[in-house]
Amino acid sequence: MIGFLFPAMLLALIILPVLWWMLRAVPPSPSHRRFPGVRLLLGLKDPESTPKNTPWWLLLLRLAAIGAAIVAFAEPVLNPRPTTGGSGRLLVLMDAGWASAQDWDARQQRLSEILAGATRDNRNVSVRLLSDPLPVDSELAFTAAQDWVGLVAGLHPAPFAPDRQGFAAWLAAHPQDPFETIWISDGLGQGDALSSVLLEQGPVSVVGAQTPRLALLPAQLSEDGLSVPVLRERAGQAQPVTLLANGPTPEGFQGVLWRAEAEFAPDETRIDVTLEMPLELRNRIGSITVLGVHSAGAVMLADSGLQRRKVALYSPRRMEEGPQLVSSLFFLRKALEPTAEVIEAGLDDLLLAAPDVLVFADVDRLSPEETAKVLEFVQNGGTLLRFAGPRLAAGTGPGMAPDPLLPVPLRAGGRTLGGAMTWTTPKRLRPFPETSPFAGLRTPDEVEIRAQVLAQPGPDLPEHVMAALEDGTPLVTGMRMGAGRIILFHVTANAEWSSLPLSGLFVDMLSRLSVSAGGGAAEVDDLLGQTWAPREVLDGFGDLTSGQDLPSVAGETLANGPRDAATPPGYYTSQEREVAINLLAPDTVLEPLSGLASGVTRDGFGEQVETPLKPVLLAVALLLLSLDILATLFVSGRLVGARAAAGIMVAVLAYGAQDARAQDDRALLAANNVVLAYVVTGDEHVDLISRAGLYGLADTLKRRTSIEPIDPMAIDLETDDISLVPFLYWPITAQQPALSADAVAKVNAYMRNGGMILFDTRDAQLGGGFGGGSANGLILQRIAAQLEIPPLAPIEQDHVLTRSFYLLEVFPGRWRDGTLWVEAPTNLTTIEGAPFRNLNDGVTPVVIGGNDWAAAWAISPSGRPVYPVGRGVDGDRQREIAKRFGVNLIMYVMTGNYKSDQVHVPALLERLGQ
Amino acid sequence: MSLNSQHLRDRAQVLAGALPPVLAYAERLAASVAIGVHGRKRAGSGESFWQYRHAMPGDSAANIDWRRSAQGDALFIREHEWEAAQSVAFWCDASQSMDYAGKKGVETKAARAQVLTLALASLLVKGGERVALLETRAGRPGTGETKLQQMALSLAEADAGDDYGSLPLPDQRVFGHRIFISDFMGPEDAIFPALSAHGNAGGEGCILHVLDPTEESFPFDGRIIFESMSGAVDFETRRAKALREAYRDRLEERSARLAEFARRVGWYYLRHDTASSARAALLWLYMAIEAR
Repeated sequence: MIGFLFPAMLLALIILPVLWWMLRAVPPSPSHRRFPGVRLLLGLKDPESTPKNTPWWLLLLRLAAIGAAIVAFAEPVLNPRPTTGGSGRLLVLMDAGWASAQDWDARQQRLSEILAGATRDNRNVSVRLLSDPLPVDSELAFTAAQDWVGLVAGLHPAPFAPDRQGFAAWLAAHPQDPFETIWISDGLGQGDALSSVLLEQGPVSVVGAQTPRLALLPAQLSEDGLSVPVLRERAGQAQPVTLLANGPTPEGFQGVLWRAEAEFAPDETRIDVTLEMPLELRNRIGSITVLGVHSAGAVMLADSGLQRRKVALYSPRRMEEGPQLVSSLFFLRKALEPTAEVIEAGLDDLLLAAPDVLVFADVDRLSPEETAKVLEFVQNGGTLLRFAGPRLAAGTGPGMAPDPLLPVPLRAGGRTLGGAMTWTTPKRLRPFPETSPFAGLRTPDEVEIRAQVLAQPGPDLPEHVMAALEDGTPLVTGMRMGAGRIILFHVTANAEWSSLPLSGLFVDMLSRLSVSAGGGAAEVDDLLGQTWAPREVLDGFGDLTSGQDLPSVAGETLANGPRDAATPPGYYTSQEREVAINLLAPDTVLEPLSGLASGVTRDGFGEQVETPLKPVLLAVALLLLSLDILATLFVSGRLVGARAAAGIMVAVLAYGAQDARAQDDRALLAANNVVLAYVVTGDEHVDLISRAGLYGLADTLKRRTSIEPIDPMAIDLETDDISLVPFLYWPITAQQPALSADAVAKVNAYMRNGGMILFDTRDAQLGGGFGGGSANGLILQRIAAQLEIPPLAPIEQDHVLTRSFYLLEVFPGRWRDGTLWVEAPTNLTTIEGAPFRNLNDGVTPVVIGGNDWAAAWAISPSGRPVYPVGRGVDGDRQREIAKRFGVNLIMYVMTGNYKSDQVHVPALLERLGQ
Repeated sequence: MSLNSQHLRDRAQVLAGALPPVLAYAERLAASVAIGVHGRKRAGSGESFWQYRHAMPGDSAANIDWRRSAQGDALFIREHEWEAAQSVAFWCDASQSMDYAGKKGVETKAARAQVLTLALASLLVKGGERVALLETRAGRPGTGETKLQQMALSLAEADAGDDYGSLPLPDQRVFGHRIFISDFMGPEDAIFPALSAHGNAGGEGCILHVLDPTEESFPFDGRIIFESMSGAVDFETRRAKALREAYRDRLEERSARLAEFARRVGWYYLRHDTASSARAALLWLYMAIEAR
């Protein structure tokens, strides 16, 4: 289908026959040529009667060009939309929820087309996103369509479902003057209420969705691994999907941990995809996404609920014979086994297994060594969960040193409630306080505490209490220690002292303590009673953005009801816990838009988008005209021949090949030789100095050492390969541009892989320190900020650089006094009194200074120094030392910390002597 | 005429330096009486001493060599060797049609003609001959560096004249040798009558027919309006390629006619194109003058 915006222009095609006649009449214009031999030509007759007019094919070419131009200016459009056609006001509703994100570009395109149409028809338009808050006024804002055009690009989908009901209710409450509606819907859910309200205002047409939607539901832990339900909008044909599990990879950056392929059978709309991943990888999962689908609905965020933790159970009575049910670990084992890796062994073995949680069931005091080990475990982020028991009760009391592995000091003995010899009755639990991690959990009546150990009352006791009995005695206490924490249940882990381990509350409490995982998404119970602050939230396209500036949300709001602007999906934190709130509830079903009131016109996006053909046609016309130029030249004999064109083509191709070969040649040169390289700054003068300087340094090296570098190489960081040069001299100039991301990655890789860069600010560091204030220093700071530069320190007197060839104390260049900065020593050990460096193989990746070394090294091809250094004999000496520094530096580049190994010499000699 | 005179002279002397001095053949010495350095082994008006003889009645007193006469009683007259110099006239076409080069990088015909003229003149001057450049202020025969300089200046100054060069008619001056350098593209009337007149005036002659390579090969095609250098003459063709043969025939005809004329009067004719070496042409000219 082709339509024309200005069909009247096509009338101009009438002139084509006229043009035909005119062009035929006018032969190609002759060229004028000065030629002394013209006298000899006089009187000659053209022997061949070439047609006086233009050849027919040239005519056709020109007519085609002009025809194409005329048709182009008639603005033909492929697959034109029927124009809005109407008049009066137009409301464009967009669903703009997560389901619209997948084909958001098409929606924006469609909106632009509608606005363009409305502009042509001179209509007033209001554009409204159903995911936006409801209008505050009672009127919809209609303005000229042009006003909206600029806003289209800024519209984006929300990470939740559009609020159709709300808008329908608002519109019903605030009737407007009549308007026409175009509703760009996401093609899902119910549309009855909204469509009927809209119909009362005027004609309604609904635009459906372009691509079928995919959605991920919250994952569940299953026997085989992680099971992720995938939904699609409608059945029909088989459809493959690829799920990606993302998270921090073992290498430490965010990446794809796992891929899972699955396929919808033709009649399925829901499949469960199982990710059979190793546990270690699975625990790293941050989110699961569908490959190629960018929508908040196709992102499943994972939290600790999906992690299986490694729980180590330790009980000194473990080896004892006895009935299972009274074993102190039985209930723990039963509660944890479905959702966690449970290991039981001796304490040393358990600690070696690096568990997340260490559970002590009625453990007495440990030996000091063991205590230290467990303390270290806790300090490093482990959780120590302790249960009381007779031994613990017996092992504590006043007069004894407080056990560092207990959150609160305990009174000796403990107490018994409701026994045969007491008046008291077994106590129940008091509702959990707000500040407790258990806040929001229901305290069932059947839980009775019959015996417990008692905490020593103290001023700081209340802040350690996480759960208490009716009478206020602490039942669960905890404290943070380092990165980890210690939690004490003041009862046993079996049913001996209480019925707590028998109740469901016990499992919930363990879950709250992140000891066991819920085996799926956060449950309602997990959220209740706490205030959750969003940390990161999804946008409509499924990308995580910071949620720092969003208000916190009550757990009830978060738990109930669909996601909306106040509760977007994302990661929420409360106290010490973090939960992932996902967009879709586990029971979500994707169903196509239904319930539209009768009288609503439906419109699809269609397969083809409206394509203006004007640019294409104009391009064709231009192409034809340039062909015409060639043809005219040919006809008038001025085309020197196809040979020239062929020659140009060959030259172009050869140039490309030559370029590639030049790169190869450079690489070969650098790989087969030692080559000193400098960074091209763009300042011709500085580059010249660099070249002359490295030439001079190479000369010095050749004379004095066995390093024989070839001529220096200029390196453009953006285009050249630097991986093969061992040393890069980088003078800083004020005009140096920032590096591109590629170049930054290249330089970082270069430094990681053992290359060395000498940064030279060339300003004698007059501003004080590098980057202290001189212009070049600031540039260096800007460049260095992009790079992975290790911590730096002024060079010490014992650095290898001071003795890698010559013994040096200062490092002058053309200037004398600048400080030299190298990687700070991080791991300094002393062997037999001599400091011994064993960091990164001893080679600093950067050396930074400002002494303008290249100028001091620089020699002309005839071997004479180019720049003056200092004065008289002192100056000569300074130049010599500068050269020695260069030699030392390159030696250091080549041999690394070899000289540092000399500290071992006495030991080696001694060993040899024996 | 973009070449300045010094440049022109330099180039010409470079070319001439490779050749030995040439002694001009002076067949028609009697007619062209002039002081020259070529001894005739006879007493005559020259500069070098030939012999003393007794003064005879009728001798001018001014001719008596008083020093020799003082040695004896007789009066002696000092006789000089009779020396005759060849005078060579050049005509170097300075018309606009000479100022043409078919391609960039190729000399114009005018430049080539001037260089050859000066080179030969330089050779001749070294041999003591007298040279003249017809139709210019260097038209009087002369010799020596100054004459060369004058010729070079005249050539450099010579303004682009007519479209095509027309040969000057011979005047009363007598030359031993006449050298005509031109493209001979002009109308026949402007060439052959004058040539005949020069031929009749006596003396040897050389015709150097200088052509541009494009004038010989005519590598044109398509619809072209050919114009003479001043634009005074033009000719339009729709398909230049088709005229190539006819043009070349006419050029050959012109060339053949010149050669025929030269053969008839005992002159030499050479067709020389600017793409070939100037040295070859100079050598030929040198040989042509020396041949007698």
